[in-house]
Amino acid sequence: MSRLFQLVLAAALVATVTFLALPVLAIFLRVPPGDLVAQLGEERARNALLISLKTSLIAHAFILLVGTPAAYVLANRSFRGRSAVVSLLELPLVLPPAVAGLGLLAAFGRSGLLGGQLGVLGLHIPFTQVAVVLAVCFVASPFYFRSALSAFEAVDPALLGAARTLGAGPFRVFRRVALPLALPGLGAGSTLAFARGLGEFGATIMFAGSLPGRTQTAPLAIYDALDEEFDVALALGALLVLVSAALLLAAKLVPLWTRSNSPSTTLSVPSAFR
Amino acid sequence: MRSLVVVAALVALAGCGGGGEDDDLVVFAASSLNGIADEIDPAADVVFAGSNDLAAQIRDGAAAGVFLSASAKPLEELRDMGLVEEPVVFATNRLVLIVPAENTAAVTHLHDLTRAGVKLVLGADGVPIGDYARASLELAGLGAALENVVSLEEDVKGVVGKIALGEADAGIVYATDVHAADVRSIPISEHFQPKIRYYAAIVSPGSDGARRYLERLLGVEGEAALRGAGFLAAPS
Repeated sequence: MSRLFQLVLAAALVATVTFLALPVLAIFLRVPPGDLVAQLGEERARNALLISLKTSLIAHAFILLVGTPAAYVLANRSFRGRSAVVSLLELPLVLPPAVAGLGLLAAFGRSGLLGGQLGVLGLHIPFTQVAVVLAVCFVASPFYFRSALSAFEAVDPALLGAARTLGAGPFRVFRRVALPLALPGLGAGSTLAFARGLGEFGATIMFAGSLPGRTQTAPLAIYDALDEEFDVALALGALLVLVSAALLLAAKLVPLWTRSNSPSTTLSVPSAFR
Repeated sequence: MRSLVVVAALVALAGCGGGGEDDDLVVFAASSLNGIADEIDPAADVVFAGSNDLAAQIRDGAAAGVFLSASAKPLEELRDMGLVEEPVVFATNRLVLIVPAENTAAVTHLHDLTRAGVKLVLGADGVPIGDYARASLELAGLGAALENVVSLEEDVKGVVGKIALGEADAGIVYATDVHAADVRSIPISEHFQPKIRYYAAIVSPGSDGARRYLERLLGVEGEAALRGAGFLAAPS
């Protein structure tokens, strides 16, 4: 009986690995590496990659700039309804992307909640790169926010208190104590959020549309090229696999790396608080 | 391409009986014929998909008796390979201009599409509805309207959706695709209509069931079903 169980376990593992790895491998087996590079030189592939990179970077800057202080505040305050707020901020994680697209249209679309006010200011968001950036921010920021929140929560409050008694102002406490200690978690979250943003599809196609050279990101270009230029689709797909794999690796390595190099080690934090 | 797998699965299901026999006729029909091809003969199994995908399946030996295609090209290729009999036109369709119910951009004619600031949504390159729409704009000498395109959608649904939500000002789709209440359709002049024809052909070797299906499609049953859905009868 225990032998059978061992067999079942092994079979399950093999099935899982095969099932998850096969589609990824198949992409590379369909296109010879030379063609892959050539297809990426195509104008539509290049444009899509540039737009993806540009919108992802801008969105990511916003996510870090706003998400970091927001997570810091929430980590250090307790108030009624705090867990409700946290859950609300995590909701986009589990929301179907199509619903995210609908929500963005309902909020920022021309006939949306804020559409009238935005229109008065001469702002028309749908079908622009601003819309792509908003879609990426919406779906990707919770990935960062979650990591940032737990990273800040893991910082020993006693250390922050000690810094304050030694005369450090709130900003200095944040910058010199909390931020360096939370850095590994922030780095990992940041990488995952960037990867999620780069792959954004559903909310983007609904909210920003798909126009080559303007709002067509790499995932949208894959969808567009599928029926006619399958090789372009495969080449873009293969590149995204490589980028995603690199980001995943980075997300795993960044915490290890920062742990051994960050100034936090000089503070000799009890390991239980990491 | 993307629906090939689905088609293959459906064909596998539909073809279980073996095809060919009268009592289990399999009809391959373009997606836009949903609600029509299945009305002609309730006993027939109808597989709906993109015409190009269906043609690829027939090339691979799928057991279809009749093929209803939304354009001539896939059928002509099959005919030249000797896989189907001579295609016949059984219906035509028209393009219409669609605008949101509020029509804030005051689009009432194709010419309005070149006006600065009008947000136009079309089908992408290679997507039939997109290619037809571009052909129509070209016939009208309104190529400049392409400057106003804000999104190129992968299917008709994408175009209609953007208009129904009021996010874009105008789109061009088949007359038979406009069902939503919050979309207004504006006829496009006969002069600017590209030829949109639906072709039927019997897959070789033809069965009696396939011939009877085609007769019905070209007869009163077919006409009623097609007209009910907004298609026009074939030019005879």
